[in-house]
Amino acid sequence: MDELVREALDTAVARGAGYADARLLETLREDLIVKDGCLAGLEQTESRGIGVRVLVDGAWGYAATDSATRESVQACAAHAVAIGRASARVLAKPVRLAPEPPHRAVWSSPCAVDPFAVPLDRKLDLLLRIDAALRSVKGVTIAESFLTFVRRRQRFLSSEGADIDQTVTRSGGGYAATAVSGNEVQRRSYPQAEGHHQTMGWEFIESIPWVEEAPRVAEEAVALLSAEPCPSGEMDVVLEGSQLALQIHESVGHPSELDRVLGMEANYAGASFLTLDKLRTLRFGSPQVTLVADATLPHGLSTFAFDDEGVAAQRWPIVQEGLFTGYLTSRELAHRVGEARSRGCVRTDGWHHIPMIRMVNLSLMPGAGSLEDLLGDTDHGIYMETNRSWSIDQLRYNFQFKTEIAWEIRRGKRIRMLRNPTYQGITTQFWNSCDFVCGEDAWRPWGVVNCGKGQPGQVADMTHGAAPARFRKVRVGVGYDD
Amino acid sequence: MTRDEARDVLGRALAAAKGLEMEVVLGGGRSELTRFANNEITQNVSERRYVLSVRVARGRRTGRATGNDLSDDGIARLVRRADEAARLSPEIENLLPLADPQEYREVDAHDAATASLGPDARAAAVERAVARCREAGVDAAGIYESGEGSIGEYGTIAPLAIANTKGLFAHHEGTAARFTISAMDGAASGWASSESHASRDLDADAIAERAVEKAVRSRKPERWEPGRYTVVLEPAAVSDLLTDTAWLSFGALPVQEGRSFLSGKIGQPVLGGNVTIRDDPYHPLHRGLPFDAEGMPVTPVTVVDRGVAASPVYDRQTAAKEGKASTGHGLPYPNPFGPIAGHLVLEGGTGSVDDLVSRVDRGLLVTRVWYTNVVDTMTATLTGMTRDGLFAIEGGRVRGAVQNFRFNQSVVRMLNEVEGLSAVERVGGVVCPGLLVRSFHMSSGTEF
Repeated sequence: MDELVREALDTAVARGAGYADARLLETLREDLIVKDGCLAGLEQTESRGIGVRVLVDGAWGYAATDSATRESVQACAAHAVAIGRASARVLAKPVRLAPEPPHRAVWSSPCAVDPFAVPLDRKLDLLLRIDAALRSVKGVTIAESFLTFVRRRQRFLSSEGADIDQTVTRSGGGYAATAVSGNEVQRRSYPQAEGHHQTMGWEFIESIPWVEEAPRVAEEAVALLSAEPCPSGEMDVVLEGSQLALQIHESVGHPSELDRVLGMEANYAGASFLTLDKLRTLRFGSPQVTLVADATLPHGLSTFAFDDEGVAAQRWPIVQEGLFTGYLTSRELAHRVGEARSRGCVRTDGWHHIPMIRMVNLSLMPGAGSLEDLLGDTDHGIYMETNRSWSIDQLRYNFQFKTEIAWEIRRGKRIRMLRNPTYQGITTQFWNSCDFVCGEDAWRPWGVVNCGKGQPGQVADMTHGAAPARFRKVRVGVGYDD
Repeated sequence: MTRDEARDVLGRALAAAKGLEMEVVLGGGRSELTRFANNEITQNVSERRYVLSVRVARGRRTGRATGNDLSDDGIARLVRRADEAARLSPEIENLLPLADPQEYREVDAHDAATASLGPDARAAAVERAVARCREAGVDAAGIYESGEGSIGEYGTIAPLAIANTKGLFAHHEGTAARFTISAMDGAASGWASSESHASRDLDADAIAERAVEKAVRSRKPERWEPGRYTVVLEPAAVSDLLTDTAWLSFGALPVQEGRSFLSGKIGQPVLGGNVTIRDDPYHPLHRGLPFDAEGMPVTPVTVVDRGVAASPVYDRQTAAKEGKASTGHGLPYPNPFGPIAGHLVLEGGTGSVDDLVSRVDRGLLVTRVWYTNVVDTMTATLTGMTRDGLFAIEGGRVRGAVQNFRFNQSVVRMLNEVEGLSAVERVGGVVCPGLLVRSFHMSSGTEF
């Protein structure tokens, strides 16, 4: 196939592309799902194809094909150029790419035990043991568990001379117990709502106490049916790490994507309140809040050596001690914020889709102290754990989250379980109310695997590291229609 | 892919079965999308993509493998993988045998002009829409999408054709086009959209005009206090709320598991007497797939009949549990989701959205909603934001703009309080009217 990628690139240039890159992407995925003691999914999916991106007269064109013949690849590249020509009909200013050395490299993410070499029956055995442990708890209505493995190999060539071969292997899984009674549907999941995933091999699966934690998770689901509802009002809130990860994702990550800021996502995913005038002037959060984008984070879901337009991985602050300091950028847009080089945030979810700005790993830096220290320091508040639903406006101000479970904190102790916990806020007010972030020992990387953006819609994954943190005077108990 | 081409691919796959019981599903097609923002084309893409999914059944065991290498070698690899998965899978106690051959209704959904629509034609339409926005002093952002086959949102692929070793064969060929535009003036925005199986049905100029009118009207919004308001929801807003509710509640699996507001309520009133909800791919505005991913023909299903819970939609497994026939709403088996109602129709009235507005003394006109998510399953309580045109209604007329709200609203409650329905249109993949609803819960405001 290598010669076909070269053929695509050469054809695009010969047809008049001022710049071209071509990607051959091969993906292998395995999904195993067990529900209520039965197999609910066992599937391997493979995909292979070539995508060609061109600039013609300063305008973008992109075409992709799964047909692996010389003729079809040539036709695909020629079609990309024709599309670029059509784009140039409605163009305000030619696209200019920030310079990047044409890297030539081979890179693979660390993977000690190839998950695709682990026999299926061993994987199923783990899921069936989890399932049995969940269903051993009386009152559990539905038990679901899954494992997912993805290997993605990409060959990237550009007309500037880049030649990059990258392979990333991702492993993950998770489970949930659901309890239903009357009008209440309660769910507890582990290790987090959409499962826990890292760029590692089977060794990641073996590092997690799946079966040992299952009875607790199931018991909490059942106990939630009769727990007191979350009260309404303004209260101090302590967020556990995986919920905080989604808070970072929605209220920091998306608004700092420069394509959103510049209106390029306005019709679908929306724009951003972090307009260019806010850079290095906006007090985004309290001095406890430092958020760092890091494509080099060990085992992160958006950890790579080069992004999907060949830019080397980087680490830089988005918020530094509360001050908004940076954007997620591409080669096309870096110069719009005065940067000479892209931050390397461009990725795609497949050969069939054009690369676009996506969050790299974005984490809240740890402070000091343990969760016990934090709860002990809280006189009256609510500790919320594990996301259940999320929503935020198109400029990323007004958010509302629901978690699976919460506990009321009184005089430093968790005194009772609460069901249906929700909280709502305005992004900058919320982050400015942060007054305690736990330390490194409590810091964990949490993966997000269902981030949607773009038209055609693409799904990306990334990691947000966080330790539990406290936010003062947050509106809670807000989500119900009564 | 034509019927003959699809039959060839599926035939080669079945030939590779070599005595195995096997079901093969082919999906995909060609999809092209021209995207614009800030009054210029910013992205312009084309994909050609087919996938073949093979399910092998061995007694009570089954396994699936999916791939896009449609060569003989690629197909043989998929069969081997599916068979290996089937051998290793635990027994499924109630695994049904492969479906027998079925008969299907023909659906006229393929438009040759849409299938061959090129980037120049899309660029020409975008150029006119952008010119109109420039003239009005606003920025245009949007898409013009066209294609042939079954590539859906986020790259999902529905069946184009399905066959099995018992002789079942189904094929459907369709096209689709969509033009959507946001007219932007800073944080003020207006949105409009049109979609059809045929690009000739899209009037990009009219759609742009509507978005511009909303954007201009959205300037300098007033801040209203959160509270309960009489609202007129345009069809786009209704579509979004209804889609989420269908996922939560209209499939037989959540009903059987006690997670749907229909659970235990079949035959009882659950919504207002003026609300009838169906799933019907044969509706002329849908022209959808006449079979499901199990090869079963789709039967139009009335889910709620004049307010009374009538029936959820079924796949083979959930139907067998109740001794019923599948209604043809299955996903590829096995799956943990159960059947899905994918061609929703909320029956409407005869008037326009403006007619609904004329009946409101004081309230809000909602253009569309955004980022809806579930707060409570059993009441279908959803949260989300208003977006791209929220307007005050006073004395039966649309006045100025209002700053956007977050809502927390039970759709079940809302559909018990419908006081008016406009004529239907297709938006967001749903055929539905605009609705006049009392006491809609706008729970908090935002900054624009």
